[in-house]
Amino acid sequence: MSAAQPEIPYSTSPSPTRRRRTRLPFAPVGFLLLILLPLLLMPLGAVFVFAFKGGVAAFWKAIRTPEAQFALRFSLLIAFVTAAINAVLGTFAAYVLSKHRFRGERTLGIVVNLPVAIPTVVVGTSLLLLWGPIGVLGKLLGPIGLQPMFRPAGVLLAHLFVTFPYMLGTVKPLLDEIEGTYEEAAYTMGAGRWTTFRLVLLPALRGGLVTGALLTFAHSLGEFGATVMVSGNLRLRTQTAPLYIFARFEAGDIAQANAIAAVLAALSFLIFFFLFRYTGRTKRAG
Amino acid sequence: MSIVLENLTKVFAGRRVVDRFSLEVGDGELFVLLGSSGSGKSTVLRIIAGLTPENEGSVTLFGRDVTNLPAQERGVGFVFQNYSIFRHMTVAQNIEFGLRLRRVPRAERSKRSAELLERIGLGGLGGRYASQLSGGQQQRVALARALAYEPRVLLLDEPFGALDAKIRVQLRRALRDIQRALHVTTILVTHDQEEAFELGDRIGVVEHGRLLEVGTPESLYARPQSFFVATFIGTGAVLVGRCEDGNARFGPITLPIPAELPHEEGGPIRMLVRPEQVRLMEAPPLEDGTVALGKAKVVEQTFAGGTRRVRARLPEIPGLRQIFPAVPYGEEGILIDAILPADQPVPPEALICLTGWRILAQPQRRVLAIDTGGGSTDALAGAAVVARTLGASLRILGIARDGAQVERLRTLVTERAAAAGAPDAEVRIRTGDRDEQAATELAETYYHLCVAAARAARDRRRGAFVSPAAMERSGTPVLFVRGPLRPIQNLLLCTAIGEPGRAAIRFGGWLATRLGARVRLLHVHREGQPPPAWVLSHLDLGVRTLHGQSVAADYRVRPAATPAEGILAEARQGEHDLIVIGKNAARARSRDDVTAQVLQGSDRPVLVVGGNG
Repeated sequence: MSAAQPEIPYSTSPSPTRRRRTRLPFAPVGFLLLILLPLLLMPLGAVFVFAFKGGVAAFWKAIRTPEAQFALRFSLLIAFVTAAINAVLGTFAAYVLSKHRFRGERTLGIVVNLPVAIPTVVVGTSLLLLWGPIGVLGKLLGPIGLQPMFRPAGVLLAHLFVTFPYMLGTVKPLLDEIEGTYEEAAYTMGAGRWTTFRLVLLPALRGGLVTGALLTFAHSLGEFGATVMVSGNLRLRTQTAPLYIFARFEAGDIAQANAIAAVLAALSFLIFFFLFRYTGRTKRAG
Repeated sequence: MSIVLENLTKVFAGRRVVDRFSLEVGDGELFVLLGSSGSGKSTVLRIIAGLTPENEGSVTLFGRDVTNLPAQERGVGFVFQNYSIFRHMTVAQNIEFGLRLRRVPRAERSKRSAELLERIGLGGLGGRYASQLSGGQQQRVALARALAYEPRVLLLDEPFGALDAKIRVQLRRALRDIQRALHVTTILVTHDQEEAFELGDRIGVVEHGRLLEVGTPESLYARPQSFFVATFIGTGAVLVGRCEDGNARFGPITLPIPAELPHEEGGPIRMLVRPEQVRLMEAPPLEDGTVALGKAKVVEQTFAGGTRRVRARLPEIPGLRQIFPAVPYGEEGILIDAILPADQPVPPEALICLTGWRILAQPQRRVLAIDTGGGSTDALAGAAVVARTLGASLRILGIARDGAQVERLRTLVTERAAAAGAPDAEVRIRTGDRDEQAATELAETYYHLCVAAARAARDRRRGAFVSPAAMERSGTPVLFVRGPLRPIQNLLLCTAIGEPGRAAIRFGGWLATRLGARVRLLHVHREGQPPPAWVLSHLDLGVRTLHGQSVAADYRVRPAATPAEGILAEARQGEHDLIVIGKNAARARSRDDVTAQVLQGSDRPVLVVGGNG
């Protein structure tokens, strides 16, 4: 697993137009595979090859060490909490941006999408400068015990920041598509605002919510740049799985690093497999 | 009464989209609100449903004032144009949604939805999703969904607008049947008059947020009162004439004015002629109740199954103007449509006879000021004063060269209007050629008077002014203003050379009555060539006509080298505040010269009255 997560487009579903199977696809397909081999396929394969170089037992042993266990569990926990919080925040932001017209709406729309564009290391640095012991908020809140940097809370803050646009990106287009009269129809039938949201809007957003949450989860799982800045990379306290891999690698413990990398990669595969299946299905149904 | 609306008013961005709207709809009635898009009819519906808050007024449903209740508690059924069927629910779940909110047991819910599905002709399709239904089917589901919880009021906002014609006709019938069977009080909003005619027990016509007229389809078609309703419902021609001696005079024909219609002597009056009231004849009619308008050429005919629609063009007729359909720019004459049986031969030329007509209420007084967005605001100030004196509403027309300038010009003209003391004036901006747009505006709307700035002789900015001919062509009297307008007490009515223009005298008299001014009729003759006796008798007749309109008047005959010189000398000597020149169509060339010379030689405002104003 590389440090910089590749950016994932919001729509992961295959194109709905049916492609004709041609008789002799070997030339173009072969060429594509030739390009992809060193670019994508070999690195992916290498992770697993190296992970199991010493056999299954060695792999098992490598992921059973307390540090590795902590890193994996911590990463999963952070990813889960990040996805949960951003699911709510992102949906709320999408609702506000989609249903309300106000001054500076466009600007706000750009600002909330910025985290995708900013290098994650920069995010880490700015969070440190803001919350750290000499930061603006840090100076104010530090004395009363609110000091998230180099703590799990800091990692969570960084992940919330970095993954914020995913939920927005998957939910807002769906909300934009829903005409205003959709909710009004529910109002006239007697449904209050909350009931309408719960029974009418939320089910219509289901696909976007699942996709957004999974994308958020996946990105959080692999986040490196911002995490390494704000966590302090403290073993058994704030070390996420990607940080652990990097640390082991630097220490020359390549087998150990690769074992965890293989676990992360497998998790990502699982998520994307599910995403493809899910979005493919909802596209067909809807 | 089931639905009572009182004085509903809604303001969006400073514009009154709904304006003092009052209406009562009876129990079980199907009422149609008919209006063009943007007329505010949908907003009225949304206010009744509680989806849009009103600024003023009240909504009472079955005796219960619901003005301050949210949409959820009003208990109305609402059907939107875009159906808004919940996509993730099946048809049955959609229909049951309102019942589910009311905690109706499941068994009863499905019984009710099955019943409604049967009624709308979709029995057995309860398990489908909206994406598996056609537009017409979706709209049926929307109707069933709005009726499921048995609301006492059903509101439909352009329900068939997004459907094709055939489905629309089917659905109308279905709606009518269901509405009758359930006896639910219904208001339907539409812009389609066919739909309104077919469905409405009564129809209310809406324009600019106001309810103009209410009536059964038959009465609105046969007896409209306003110009808008007359032209919005059905087709036909609207002609303008003048009130003369208690009758309505339209060129060659004089018609009685219905007793209930208030009218003003000398003022304009309009008549609506439906195509089925027009006959093409060879000889003047003998029977009573048919009048002949004049010889016309058939210019167009359209075959329409059992009937044939024929359009005939009459030449220009003095004392008669057409305002609907508006005569295209650059064309003259009067266009009249007739409907004939398809098998009847259509002669190339025929006498146009009317077997029926409807005299409309006298037009609201309107003054149009044309502003170029530059130079002095004297003309605007003058227009404001004249409009106020006449009790007329003032509209200011600005003409932008292209779409990009529209907003800038609107702001500029609005500011100039406020500076000129006419902050309430309506500003309208048209885009395109100056002369053409000014002429089109005057052809489409009846104005009592048009006010424009006079171009000074040394002013080279030709492009900054609308050509006088473009404005005068419409037949609207045009007032050219130069410098601040003084109070008008003395009116000089010039008959120039030739017979005094009847229209000029009538309009001058009407204006003098409103202004409380005295009138002097002037005839200028060549030096050494005293006028013939018939000119004097014409002048005498003119003075008597004016006296008949209770205007103080006299006449004067004056020798001069040219007509313009005579007019200018008389204006100076008699201290006249306004010079009125009658336009004689036959002498267009010399008239142009006289008007131009008078405009340049005097600092007084000049009013040009056309032959058919």
